[in-house]
Amino acid sequence: QVEDGETYLIKEINVTGNTNFSAQTIIAYSKLRKDEEIQVGGEKIANAVKTLWKSNLFSSIDIYITNIDGNTANLEINLSDLPELKELSIIGVKRGKKDEIINENKLKPGQKVTENLIATTKNYLTNKYRKKGYLNTKVRITTSEVVDSVEKERVNMRLVLDQGEKVKIKSINFDGNEKIADKKLRKAMKHTKQKNFIRILKRSKYIEDDFREDLVSVIDYYKENGYRDARIISDSISYVDDKTISLDIKVEEGEKYTFGKISFVGNTVYSDQQLSNLLGLKEGDTYNGVELRERIADNSNPDANDITNAYQNWGYMFSSINPVEVSAEGNVIDMEIRISEGKPAYYNNVTVVGNDVTNDHVIYREIRTRPGELYRKSEIIRTIRELGQLGFFDAQQIAPNVKNPNPVDGTLDIEYSVVEQGSSQIQLQGGYGGGGFIGTLGLSFNNFAIKDIFKKDAYKPVPRGDGQSLALRLQASQYYQTYSFSFSEPWLGGKKPYQLSSSLSYSRQFLYDSSTGSADKSKSFNITGLTVGLSTRLAEPDDYFLLSQAISFQHYNLKNYSTSLFTFGDGTSNNLSYTIGLSRNNLYTDPIYPTGGSNFSVSAKFSFPYSLVNGVDYEALAEERADSNTTAERISEIDQERFKWLEFYKIKFKADWYQALTKKLVLRPSIEFGFLGAYNSDRGVIPFERFFLGGDGLANYSLDGREVVQLRGYPNQSLSDADGGSIYNKFSLELRYPITLGAQAKIYALSFLEAGSSVNDFKDFDPFKLQRSAGFGLRIFMPAFGLLGIDFGHAFDESPYGTAVKNWETHFIIGQQF
Amino acid sequence: CSDFQKTLKSDDTAAKYEMATDLYEAEKWNKSYRLLDQILQQFRGKPQAEKITFMHAMCSYQLGDYYISSFHFDKFTDVYPQSEKAEEAAFLAAKGYYYNSPVYSKEQKETVEAIEKLQLFLNRYPNSEYLGEANTLVKELDFKLEKKAFEIAKQYNTIGEYKASIKSFNNFLLEFPGTSLRGDAFYYRFNSAYNLAVLSVEHLKEERLKDAINYYNALKKGYPNSTYSEIADMMNADLQKELNTFTTKS
Repeated sequence: QVEDGETYLIKEINVTGNTNFSAQTIIAYSKLRKDEEIQVGGEKIANAVKTLWKSNLFSSIDIYITNIDGNTANLEINLSDLPELKELSIIGVKRGKKDEIINENKLKPGQKVTENLIATTKNYLTNKYRKKGYLNTKVRITTSEVVDSVEKERVNMRLVLDQGEKVKIKSINFDGNEKIADKKLRKAMKHTKQKNFIRILKRSKYIEDDFREDLVSVIDYYKENGYRDARIISDSISYVDDKTISLDIKVEEGEKYTFGKISFVGNTVYSDQQLSNLLGLKEGDTYNGVELRERIADNSNPDANDITNAYQNWGYMFSSINPVEVSAEGNVIDMEIRISEGKPAYYNNVTVVGNDVTNDHVIYREIRTRPGELYRKSEIIRTIRELGQLGFFDAQQIAPNVKNPNPVDGTLDIEYSVVEQGSSQIQLQGGYGGGGFIGTLGLSFNNFAIKDIFKKDAYKPVPRGDGQSLALRLQASQYYQTYSFSFSEPWLGGKKPYQLSSSLSYSRQFLYDSSTGSADKSKSFNITGLTVGLSTRLAEPDDYFLLSQAISFQHYNLKNYSTSLFTFGDGTSNNLSYTIGLSRNNLYTDPIYPTGGSNFSVSAKFSFPYSLVNGVDYEALAEERADSNTTAERISEIDQERFKWLEFYKIKFKADWYQALTKKLVLRPSIEFGFLGAYNSDRGVIPFERFFLGGDGLANYSLDGREVVQLRGYPNQSLSDADGGSIYNKFSLELRYPITLGAQAKIYALSFLEAGSSVNDFKDFDPFKLQRSAGFGLRIFMPAFGLLGIDFGHAFDESPYGTAVKNWETHFIIGQQF
Repeated sequence: CSDFQKTLKSDDTAAKYEMATDLYEAEKWNKSYRLLDQILQQFRGKPQAEKITFMHAMCSYQLGDYYISSFHFDKFTDVYPQSEKAEEAAFLAAKGYYYNSPVYSKEQKETVEAIEKLQLFLNRYPNSEYLGEANTLVKELDFKLEKKAFEIAKQYNTIGEYKASIKSFNNFLLEFPGTSLRGDAFYYRFNSAYNLAVLSVEHLKEERLKDAINYYNALKKGYPNSTYSEIADMMNADLQKELNTFTTKS
């Protein structure tokens, strides 16, 4: 007979019972040692049982004291292993689902079968099927003991799943609501819906968790409407029949509250009036806790025009704002907004980490938060965005880390952490198009460092890190070859963001020979071009203005290339021109789906007025050309003279606006206009640089400076003369509606009205004689593919140039439209 | 098939060891490395292991694979702290970090790491034959960090962010009191202050002019004969002239 509290010295420890584990393992695990003193009912034994039990391997554990001899005794640990699972049979589930059940619940043979395992499996399956709408799912699990071939006890498990009928919600009934109608409350429930034939996207399933969440939404809805005390008294489910249930919700609305006096305390930077305007709530307004919270700090939008941001964007990093209800007399709640402003904070150190590739100077020049300057949260957000737009870093991973904030000194350090991403692209593709095989090789390096091109070490695999971009592109088919090279430096000289861009291109195309069906290499048209441009962001009138200038030169060389486009088959033509453009773009929030702002641009491109100085009598030439006796050969000579150096000016204007009509619906009116003119009317308007109106507006490869202008509903380029128009105008109105604006894909639907016309002579220009169309379409933007879209346009007028116009025209849109 | 290929494919570890040693002595690092890589595991715990581990690390060091070599040298010094090669291994491990340090204008994580490693080496072997070299390397790495901070501060001057430039130079001078770029920093700090003052809005101008003159005085006092003396004197004269208009006004 042993009694509690007596101590013994352990002489020996034995393990008995039905276990597969070695005695040593179990003893070691139990932490009981030989020659150790133990106390009956003491901690040591209790702990041993606890640790063994925790291993989840045994179904019973007993420890006995045996062979007591004076103050020594033996210990016996008697255990039996949990039975292992031998076979599992699942009934009531399709074959494919069985593996899923086995994997998700770890029901593999050899698994120790515990009560817990059975219970969790049961719960898991019941919940899983309930979430799918099988509210009546029943799961039964039975086990039976067997002895396997090696005389070991095991269990077989039988799992019967009866999912029953899918249950739908027939009705959701509210009780106790007098002020707010059932319909509105049902609408407030985002996930739980009653059966309705019209609604196809959301099912009327009953899912417990979602239902609980929706009950909170109902209360929130009340709270937004001044019913601060509203609560759910009860909710219950009742079966209408096997397949349908109805939900009954009883609410207590309470009284409707209004805001009383709202006063501000502690504000020195902003006046009461300014804060009150920001808050946008006044005495007598319906009490709305949600709105109050958002006006003070809207956590869903970092750019929100709330009170917190007003302080955060003015240096008050250490400010805090607390609304307090000071009295609630009757149904009127007086508020006090307590503000602790703190000291304005200034940046001390501004650093960047993670730039393994990009050089410091490329990053620091874009950072708007600079040492010694006032802390502004908006500038940090803008910096993050602008660093992301460089394309050198993963935009999702750019993070500003505020370090060493010191409320006493009013300083903070900020560290921008960036993650480099590959910004180079290699494009190698082949395909059929334009009547034959087209091969393309494109290389573009968007973070190039041209100063390192002679440094051997810098080739990893190309010199990178100075933010320059360099692109090479070769394209060839049997009809044409194009080679182009371009380079740009965003900060020429490193002092100001003067962007230098230059490009060099050469293309060569052969005439199609209809007799052989292939290219005729003896008839060619070569274009060599060089463009150097400089653009800069202006500070005045505001920093959305961009001024750009460019000088470009093209040399056209025709060999035996007679088409209707030119009257000379052999000869050359040169185009040296200067372009100056001014644009302003303040489209905001999302570049793919702007909800506001405008974008306008005006540009003039012109050549030197050679005819004023070169002394050629173009009038005589024009007369000779018009004379019916002149031979074709002579006409070709005259044209060669006229177009040797192209003389022209071209003026373009384009503007579009984005206006949010409702929270989502955006209206985009736009207007554009282009004019190509000649200084000398006898010399005439050049056959290059012309406008081609109509169709999807996608420029394929433009050979001759042509500009393709979109006007949907009509076949491509059907609204201009075959050789292009010299003047065009276009108006359009587009209504857009977003379907989804997630990060993975942005999809929006649109409908449009468009009208435009293109003529060859200002005499024929009539801004009210337009070809009109209307239609609708869809755009999908995915970061990996860019913008894809389809438009269906209906034309209302005939083409003035005789092209057949169908009633409906389908356009596929690839790439961004501006 | 060469002897090397045959040995490489054979299972004869002794032959591999012998050939790897020969190749190592002949400075055929690549071939030796491939053999050593194969036998490194098999000799673990044996007397040759010490030599093999060292040679293995050395080969990758000679091949320019410093991340790998530093890792193995570090391991070598851990396992064989009593080895006569331990000191060399510790130094080469640290030097490997030095080689991994990128150009100053990129992130300097590796530079800081290298300085720490070299410093640890110096603390552990204060009488090392590599002492001189290690000190030179540390100096070079320190200079990289100085240069980085200096260039960033100077860029603020270049892009016309004078306030940021002054603040950054002040931070720079605090952080690197002994820098060799101190004189340049004094000048550029003054240059920024000068521009800030000259281009200033009227109501802050007087104060900024005075600040700029203070920075001029600091430059003059610290570096009376700097290369910037002439231009700085001219700029100071400008400032004095502008400041006079204020004092005469009041």
